[in-house]
Amino acid sequence: MNKASNHAFVNQVLIGTLMMICFSGSLGLGTVWLRREISLTANHNKQLEARLSEINRHIDETTAAIAAEQSPDTLVRRNAEWHLGLVPPRELQVVRVPDDVEQRLTAKNRARLFATEGGSAFTAVVFHPGGVQ
Amino acid sequence: MRTMSRGFASNYRIAVVVAAVVASFTGIGARLVSLHVLQRAKFLSYIGKARDEIIVQNARRGDILDAHGSLLATSRSLVVIGADPQVLCKEDEAKWPELARLLGLSPAELQKKFTGKIRMPDDEAPEIDPTADSHETRWVKLSDTVDESAYDQIKTLNVRGVYGSRIYSRAYPQNQLAAHVLGYVNREGEPVTGLERYLDFYLRGQNGWLESERDGLRHELAQFRSREVAPADGYDAVLSIDTVVQHMVEQELQALADKYHPAKATIIVGDPRTGFILALGNWPTFNLNDYNKADLPSQRNIAVADQFEPGSTFKIVAASGALDAGLVTPASTFDCTLESVEYKGTERRLPRESELDHFDHPLTVAEIIAKSSNKGAAQLGMLLGDEKFYDYARAFGFGELTGFPVGGEIDGQLAPPSKWDGLTITRMPMGQSVGATPMQVHCAMGVIASGGLLLRPQVVRQIRDVDGTVVYQFAPIVKRRVISEGTAQTMQHLLEGVAMADGSGTAPLAAISGFEVAGKTGTAQKLLPVTTPSGKTVLRYSDRHHVASFVGFFPASNPQVAITVIVDDADAAVPGGIAYGNLVAAPVFKRLGERLIQYLNIQPPIASTGPKFAMEGGAR
Repeated sequence: MNKASNHAFVNQVLIGTLMMICFSGSLGLGTVWLRREISLTANHNKQLEARLSEINRHIDETTAAIAAEQSPDTLVRRNAEWHLGLVPPRELQVVRVPDDVEQRLTAKNRARLFATEGGSAFTAVVFHPGGVQ
Repeated sequence: MRTMSRGFASNYRIAVVVAAVVASFTGIGARLVSLHVLQRAKFLSYIGKARDEIIVQNARRGDILDAHGSLLATSRSLVVIGADPQVLCKEDEAKWPELARLLGLSPAELQKKFTGKIRMPDDEAPEIDPTADSHETRWVKLSDTVDESAYDQIKTLNVRGVYGSRIYSRAYPQNQLAAHVLGYVNREGEPVTGLERYLDFYLRGQNGWLESERDGLRHELAQFRSREVAPADGYDAVLSIDTVVQHMVEQELQALADKYHPAKATIIVGDPRTGFILALGNWPTFNLNDYNKADLPSQRNIAVADQFEPGSTFKIVAASGALDAGLVTPASTFDCTLESVEYKGTERRLPRESELDHFDHPLTVAEIIAKSSNKGAAQLGMLLGDEKFYDYARAFGFGELTGFPVGGEIDGQLAPPSKWDGLTITRMPMGQSVGATPMQVHCAMGVIASGGLLLRPQVVRQIRDVDGTVVYQFAPIVKRRVISEGTAQTMQHLLEGVAMADGSGTAPLAAISGFEVAGKTGTAQKLLPVTTPSGKTVLRYSDRHHVASFVGFFPASNPQVAITVIVDDADAAVPGGIAYGNLVAAPVFKRLGERLIQYLNIQPPIASTGPKFAMEGGAR
């Protein structure tokens, strides 16, 4: 009885040990799998970061190239190369409007809206060189 | 169950299995204790050396933008392309011409770099037989200015043995534009001059870093990143410099250089109401992207680093001081034919007038300014007295740093009355015996334009973070009140008399049709070393070398733009041999002013005299 009981205990210990080994093994495999997943995710993140950096580098390069193309020197050169003939305005060509442009346009629009149905809201435009006395 | 137990669990077997299990676990345990406890330090140190690594993540240097957001300085990556000639394959030779094209080399140059086995000290080194048994080159630089697009194409070529490594480089898309204001960052990444240096604290940013591990092939094992501090990119700086105005200024400087071949020239355009500078240009200048090819004189910011005798532009000090102290009115008269005047009990010889001027009647203060009388200015100075004149000169900002933030500024020369000789009080009011930088002269004229306030000249408007949020906003800084508002208005009116189109003042060529221009010409003789008959070298005022200047602002009654034009030693190319301020500098002021009126939409305060068009009709 005593001997049988010992055997049973030993068997239980062995089975327990085997189960422990299996459990530990499973834990180990699980850990390895987890680590692999972490590694894959980390590498994926790293690739995304690298891609982001690459895009930012290209943006920087393109921005610098656009700025260079928009520099006054380049624009003046392009104007000559493409025979655009663009020149800055001269004071003689400028007509200054002393009153508020927005108010003037609003008044003009209002006048058009409330014009009588029978009459036209517009009249012909005539230029008088030298101004109207 | 019993049978099974009995069959398997014999005493002997049990003992063996238990012993094996115990021995195994004991062995594992012992090894673990050995590895993790006894030899822990040794292995940690080994692993640390072999695998641990701190990777620095470079912060991006901030951009410098003009007032409208145009890029003046930016950071971009360049790729250094190199090759290991020992790894190159025969099969890739067909790709070499394309590779050479992408690198900007000739196929022959690339061939030479690839086939050389000897490290050449320089191009002049003697040719060495490449077949000789000698030290093999494992790295040869092909180019260090390859941009990302070209590098992508090089990678696509897939030439074995050709590698690239990135470096961050500073780029200046506008080349020489505002070169002296911006300054540059050298190849080592250190800011050398200008705003690049002054604003380095804001622009530089903070590098990040991460702790990680590398495998045997030196590849990073991203899963072992333990600590990570992200880089903080540098802030952007927004300037008050306007690219278009700056370009106008540099065009004018180039035109000046082409026409007059001066030793140097500088133009400053600013807003006198705030002290912010819209453009600052010097000639000679240099391309910021090729700073290493520019000589030192070209890199000098003449506007703040060089001083000259301001000449007649300095007369505003004596006139403003006398008016502000209530000693004279614009109608007060002075005899400008006198040869000498008694001052503090001693007869003082008055300076000569310009060769073109002779005044046969007493001049009013208004005429002294308009006609730039040297004798009149001297008498105004003497009326003020040594101390008071000196105090006004100091108050106008002469003899002290303006605080313009680009570095290299000097404070000029303004000696105190205790160091003056008997003639100084007669010469200093006309701008001799005093040294000033162009920026000081610009600021002094700004005192009159701003209503009597000395403003600190500034060029940085804002500091922004990477998201565009304003971190710091620079506001106008008033250094002090120099003269009363009333005196400033009187001076504005008097200075209008200088630039009258009818020729009644000294600068009719600065007059802009339809606009009130206030300003002052200057034609300062240069002090040059002369060898006397006794063999001594002394400094004498030259009759053939002058500094021509015009400093002014408009519209005089509502100043919106102040322009300073200073041209050094343009005499040789001027008919008559004397580079007067009116001949050389005033026309530049006028041309610039006319262009600025259109660009900045400056409204004329008085009716235009040009032809008009009236429109009749339209919607009623």
